[in-house]
Amino acid sequence: MIICDGLTKTFGSITAIQDFSLTIPDGCIFGLLGPNGAGKTTTMRMLSCLIRPTAGAAQIDSLEIGKKEDAQKIRGMIGLLPEVPGLYETLGAYKNLDYFGQFYGVPKQQREESIRTTLTNLGLWDRRSEPVGGFSKGMKQKIAIARALIHDPKYIFLDEPTASLDPAASKTVREYILELKSRGDTILINTHNLSEAERICDTVALVKNKIVKVGSPKALARGLFARTVSFTLQKIPSTLMKDISCLEFVSQAQVKGNQLVLNVRNPEEDNPRVVSWLMKQGLQVQFVTEEEHSLEDVYLKLIEEGGQ
Amino acid sequence: MRWRNAWIVMRKDLDEFKKQKLVIGSIIAMPIVLGVVLPLAMFVPMVTMVPLERPYDVDGLLQIGNLPDDASAPWTNQTVENASFNATVFNHMTLMNTHLSNCIIDSCVLENTTVMDSTIQNSSLSSSYLMNVTVIRSEGTGLDGRYILAVSSSLVFTKTKPSEIDLVLPMMFNMVLMIFIIVPATLPTIIATYSIVGEKNNRSLEPLLATPTTDGELLAGKIFSAFIPSMGSTLLAFTLGVVLLDVVLIPKVGYPLLPNITWILSMFLLAPTACLMSVLACVLVSSKVSDVRAAQQLGGFIVMPVVVLMLGVLSGFIFLSPVIICVFAGLYGCLDLGLFYFAKAIFNREKILTKWT
Ligand SMILES: Nc1ncnc2c1ncn2[C@@H]1O[C@H](COP(=O)(O)OP(=O)(O)OP(=O)(O)O)[C@@H](O)[C@H]1O
Ligand SMILES: [Mg+2]
Repeated sequence: MIICDGLTKTFGSITAIQDFSLTIPDGCIFGLLGPNGAGKTTTMRMLSCLIRPTAGAAQIDSLEIGKKEDAQKIRGMIGLLPEVPGLYETLGAYKNLDYFGQFYGVPKQQREESIRTTLTNLGLWDRRSEPVGGFSKGMKQKIAIARALIHDPKYIFLDEPTASLDPAASKTVREYILELKSRGDTILINTHNLSEAERICDTVALVKNKIVKVGSPKALARGLFARTVSFTLQKIPSTLMKDISCLEFVSQAQVKGNQLVLNVRNPEEDNPRVVSWLMKQGLQVQFVTEEEHSLEDVYLKLIEEGGQ
Repeated sequence: MRWRNAWIVMRKDLDEFKKQKLVIGSIIAMPIVLGVVLPLAMFVPMVTMVPLERPYDVDGLLQIGNLPDDASAPWTNQTVENASFNATVFNHMTLMNTHLSNCIIDSCVLENTTVMDSTIQNSSLSSSYLMNVTVIRSEGTGLDGRYILAVSSSLVFTKTKPSEIDLVLPMMFNMVLMIFIIVPATLPTIIATYSIVGEKNNRSLEPLLATPTTDGELLAGKIFSAFIPSMGSTLLAFTLGVVLLDVVLIPKVGYPLLPNITWILSMFLLAPTACLMSVLACVLVSSKVSDVRAAQQLGGFIVMPVVVLMLGVLSGFIFLSPVIICVFAGLYGCLDLGLFYFAKAIFNREKILTKWT
């Protein structure tokens, strides 16, 4: 379990992150979302014991990130994928992984086995000795992810893991992340990719140099937006907007083409009443759909508000 | 401090170098070119210019050395001072402050005399210089000589007059030895800046810092990876240089001159401290600079204390004696300690990630 209590980091006069307090339970995928410069990388670095917080504290499995003796143990439990892959470009994929296995103290045999499996899965086993400098961005990113996992860490911190991957590779990585979760690992992800966060994260925290909002992607959307339903009609008479104001449960109405978009309090009860009212007006209802709010809507709305 | 981790860092760095054929090439070639090829190019002509002695032929020399039965003795029972003789036979004479060449000397007393290409028999010698002389059944002390063939004699040679080659050799050795101090101080600038600035530019330090490796282990690894190859290739060139110089010089001087105590002290005290100084200077410079070439130049600049020594030696102001070597090694050792203290202070995770630009 990761418990953050008022983590704050300032660089001179710049506050990268302030008062970051939350708890990340074991076995979940936790996403940090935020615009550029929101302090995501800084937070991740503090939790990886790479930089010290200016104020506040955090514990990982009741080890203090600020304590020197604990920091070393914590680093051994974490697998970090930094923003930039930072591979040794002149060395092959095998050597890159092998040296990190050694730094993490993975026994030789286990190292060999796990590197072989990983590189085979990545389709890079045959090219294991080629200098990785010649590999594509995506291939490097995959090797860097494999490097973060070489010691089978309990906590996995991924800073924009799919940033340079093609859709197929992103999908592979996402599936892999879900698989890691099913093994009980705890995963912290920094990302700009909202649909990705929506798909894989159990909980997300929107940050903009402080925590703006925390919750599951669905709950965040629910809490922010009234539920919207759109009724597709064959034809919309011009008087409809005026007439509909008599329905007291409709808080907002809008016409978009031949769609009538309504904000209703309780769609399960209110929708049938709208439909029968429309039919009474002699209008034909073709589709009724609930409009889902994506994490993107939530994000844009909150970040805009959070910026003020 | 787990040395194993430092060792892994070094192995990784060396593995990276292996791919840089040019870097490896210059690290191995530089000491050999400067410390072996260049000195030999200087020594061989010098050594060959001094006329080669004729080969020892014991039987032949004894023949020359045995006085002919009818040897006439134009000078007997006399004392000769401040004179010079060529191709003369001396018998029962006392010779002082005299120069003799191609002479046969029998039953004489020689003092302060230079004898060349001659034979001396049944004589008593003191404070004289003998060159290419056969000495039979004689005794003497305070002698200086070259290519002496003594037969049944008790002669005590102590140098009274240095020969020409004796004057030149120490100067030459001094210069060559200086190369074996400058080179190990220069090589780390190639390696250390590369291994630190390179990693910095490549952003590969962050994943490395995220491992349980400590700052100290990482610093030690980086120091090793510059120090060990630099000293290794210097030692290789040093050994090669010593052997080849001896091969060239033994025929002239008759015994191996190198390695002497000065050279050994220099190689194992002064060179390592100078090398370490350069390594640490480069670590410090690399933290501030993000261009390998700029770091190399600045690193070279910080090796000033070595340049001071070099200028002293080249100008003849400083002569590399065991004492001087120890003094400078101690001086460099102190500088090393100071630099290490600074390097340790800046080589810390947080600073590397946030301050090293
Ligand atoms: N070493 C540093 N020195 C000074 N300021 C820094 C340093 N590192 C980060 N910052 C500042 O801290 C803030 C947060 O940076 P951070 O890299 O954590 O953002 P981020 O959320 O990861 O952004 P991105 O999405 O672009 O990766 C930024 O304003 C940045 O300029
Ligand atoms: Mg970032």
